[in-house]
Amino acid sequence: MKISGAHKLPLGRDRAFRAMQDPAVLAQCMPGCESLDRTGEDEYAMRMKMALAAVTGQFQGKVRIADSAFPESFRLIVEGSGKVGFMKGDGLVRLTEAAPDSTEVAFDGDVHVGGTIASVGQRLIDGTAKLMIKRFFDKLAAKAAEVE
Amino acid sequence: MATTTTTPTKTESLIGKRLRRREDPRLITGNATYVDDIQLPGMHYACIVRSPHAAANVKKVDIQAAAAMPGVVAVFTGEDTKDVGPVPCGASLPGLRVPYHHILAVGRVYFVGHPVAVVVAADKYVARDAAEAVEVEYEELPAVADPEKALAEGAPAVHPEWPDNVSFNFHQEGGDCAAAFAEADVVVKQRITSQRLIPTPMETRGVVADWKTGDRSLIVYSSTQIPHLLRTLVAGMLALPEHKTRVITPEVGGGFGCKLNVYAEEALMGFVSMKTGKPVKWIESRRENYLCTIHGRGHVDYFEIAAKNDGTILGMKLKLIQDLGAYHQLLTPAIPTLSVLMMPGLYRFRNITADIVGVFTNCVPTDAYRGAGRREATHGIERMVDLLAAELKMDPAEIRLKNFIQPEEFPFATATGLTYDSGDYALPLRKALEISDYTGLRAKQVEARAAGRLMGVGMSTYGEICAFGPSPATPAGGWESATVKIEPSGKVTVLTGASPHGQGEETTFAQIAAEELGIDVDDVVVLHGDTAIVQYGIGTFGSRGTAVGGPALYYALQELKAKIKRFGEMMLDSSDVSFAGGVCVCNQTGRSCTLAEVAGAAHRAMKLPPKTEPGMQATYFWEPPNFTFPFGAHIVVTEVDRDTGQIEVTRYVAVDDCGRIINPLIVDGQVHGGVAQGLGQALYEQAVYDDNGQLLSGELTDYAVPKATMMPWVESHHTETPSPVNPLGVKGVGEAGTIGCSPAVVNSVVDALSQLGVRHLDMPLTPEKIWNAIQGGRA
Repeated sequence: MKISGAHKLPLGRDRAFRAMQDPAVLAQCMPGCESLDRTGEDEYAMRMKMALAAVTGQFQGKVRIADSAFPESFRLIVEGSGKVGFMKGDGLVRLTEAAPDSTEVAFDGDVHVGGTIASVGQRLIDGTAKLMIKRFFDKLAAKAAEVE
Repeated sequence: MATTTTTPTKTESLIGKRLRRREDPRLITGNATYVDDIQLPGMHYACIVRSPHAAANVKKVDIQAAAAMPGVVAVFTGEDTKDVGPVPCGASLPGLRVPYHHILAVGRVYFVGHPVAVVVAADKYVARDAAEAVEVEYEELPAVADPEKALAEGAPAVHPEWPDNVSFNFHQEGGDCAAAFAEADVVVKQRITSQRLIPTPMETRGVVADWKTGDRSLIVYSSTQIPHLLRTLVAGMLALPEHKTRVITPEVGGGFGCKLNVYAEEALMGFVSMKTGKPVKWIESRRENYLCTIHGRGHVDYFEIAAKNDGTILGMKLKLIQDLGAYHQLLTPAIPTLSVLMMPGLYRFRNITADIVGVFTNCVPTDAYRGAGRREATHGIERMVDLLAAELKMDPAEIRLKNFIQPEEFPFATATGLTYDSGDYALPLRKALEISDYTGLRAKQVEARAAGRLMGVGMSTYGEICAFGPSPATPAGGWESATVKIEPSGKVTVLTGASPHGQGEETTFAQIAAEELGIDVDDVVVLHGDTAIVQYGIGTFGSRGTAVGGPALYYALQELKAKIKRFGEMMLDSSDVSFAGGVCVCNQTGRSCTLAEVAGAAHRAMKLPPKTEPGMQATYFWEPPNFTFPFGAHIVVTEVDRDTGQIEVTRYVAVDDCGRIINPLIVDGQVHGGVAQGLGQALYEQAVYDDNGQLLSGELTDYAVPKATMMPWVESHHTETPSPVNPLGVKGVGEAGTIGCSPAVVNSVVDALSQLGVRHLDMPLTPEKIWNAIQGGRA
């Protein structure tokens, strides 16, 4: 499934780029994120809870950042699995300066899900993913003041 | 051939009587016992860990955390069960590739839902929690879910040992198709799909296994259509002696072919009970049912039909791509061969060529689903005949009437090697045309079109193969058995090997027995579904319950009637005794004795007629000399909403000829249920896998089984052309509605949209698909 969209952050591009790779910030802003620990260079272990229609479950996974081109773009690779199935995502995140203190973050990628979440929740994944992404950016925007 | 359009029986006869089903009170008052209702002392519960991947290597199965949970008795993986025999495939074809089907995956998984491990606990919720604690490490592999993509160069191999994904190629031909096509004025070609369907019985599968350690015997309770075959096969898988294995089939909440099978779980529960020494219950969840119980259909058909300009059909070609799924279940590869057998339909042409390619995909296996194989064939033929009619600008009724096999041509040998038993194919069509006021409908259609409305009239004239079947044509014997016991009081117990599960034989068989013995229908009880009580039987599928099980009962009754007469002669001291109406009467003196008196005397045995055993019991195993071939005509009127693509079925006229009718109420019920499932395929249902082999329609929220409000009023009518194959003249009706329905509905909708240039539509006809077709027509 393709996923794409764009959101604005009230941050300059350099700050926005750093914020989006700061585990402490991310952990606070990602909906359902229970922990996010750095495991290596641009690699994190993540635990999150996700609810999709009648299916609720915990996912354990890996987040990896690749092809990092500060401050313009990076690739985000997410893999998670839990009792209700698995998900895999791979997408390109591009940051462009909209105004001195405003950055547009555009993303474009592929998401695959399997197991129960695929057989039960497929129709809702698109909407749920968009909602989660919006919440993430809303929270990040609200925390903009705290970002170095 | 005697044919009548109404039931010609005497008023007092029980044959043809509209009796209410005697099994219904317990079903509709919650008194019936299904597998999940069975409670045994010390019952334990199993939960199965299943693969979320369509193709993956299983690197590691860690059961430690699960096994350590309080209440968990055992956890087994594929390593533990690999010596259990494979899930059986009963069908054989030349060169058939049969993958070894372990009951739990060993090393690799092949479809989403593939069982990997099983947890047994004293509490079912603990079992479920523990199943979640089993850690399975997978190495994901590329998967393929579409049969045409699976055939393409470079497609992922479902089974690495067969990289072309082909399980078998099957060719059949009759006549001279090349000559027929060379001679033709017109050839019409069309790709037609019959999408994968999920059978969706109300009751999912369920198994209770009870190993009696002291006796070293196993009882398996299973919701199945074939208790005796299941016993034979599960005993084989578990290396148990057959006589120490007992299968009990309690109430079955719908089978439709998906319980005409032997599943991994049936042997697995036996294994688990034997290992733990506990009775173990497994009840399939709806999600498991959608993922792991067989699906139906899964055809991509390339049809070609050749004809003369006057509409005379000369021949037909078919290339059939069958989506088999990852494994062969009991009859998987045999199902598409039925489509080829049925290719001539009701038509006289004798030139046919067909090629089947059976393709492995990373999906749950396909197998028999109501109408299996014949519905797909009928859909293709009836669409092709309509396409031909459109090409030649002929009326669809006219082209059918022109090509029907004529009544005097029976028995009719088809190009596919069948011998049609009896028929008058114009009879139901003419009746349907009359009841629906076909001429009037066409006039209304002209008016509707003038008013800008999209109204369609469509029909199908179907034939089917029922009464499976002569034993040489079946994998496991095609006969059926019956035992009749007349108890000392004269009450009658019938044991049928047919194991009915919703077809109403507890009523129809009581009617047959009561009719033959001249007693009240309430004096007969019909038992089935326990291998320790009932003599070996084959089961109910392929519209065979009454058509094969009924004659077995009839002949057992004839044996008893002869015995009753011998007792009557002895008791009335006369050689001129007749038995009728439940009474033996001496034709000389008028003295008589009742059936109860005869039965009492036979059991008391103070005196016996010459060469006659005491007691009053007979068993008959009946081998049918041929299949039966029911037929019929369905006419469907639809109205399509231009703006939304919504289809409304405004009239549904079904005229079915299933031979002699024993109980018209039950026959109508079978037609209604069949139509519901045919309509489901035509308009709503589709099992959808994504490119990675994930089942997207995995719940009733995403899989549209028709609800009561989506059903049209079915005007069910009949003609009766008795079958000469059996003494009852019956043909079978379990699948007729499903087979006749979908082509009639699709033909009707195509007819509605034909003015927009629409020529063909593939099922399901969802509003989105129809709306797009309307837009395309406008452009």
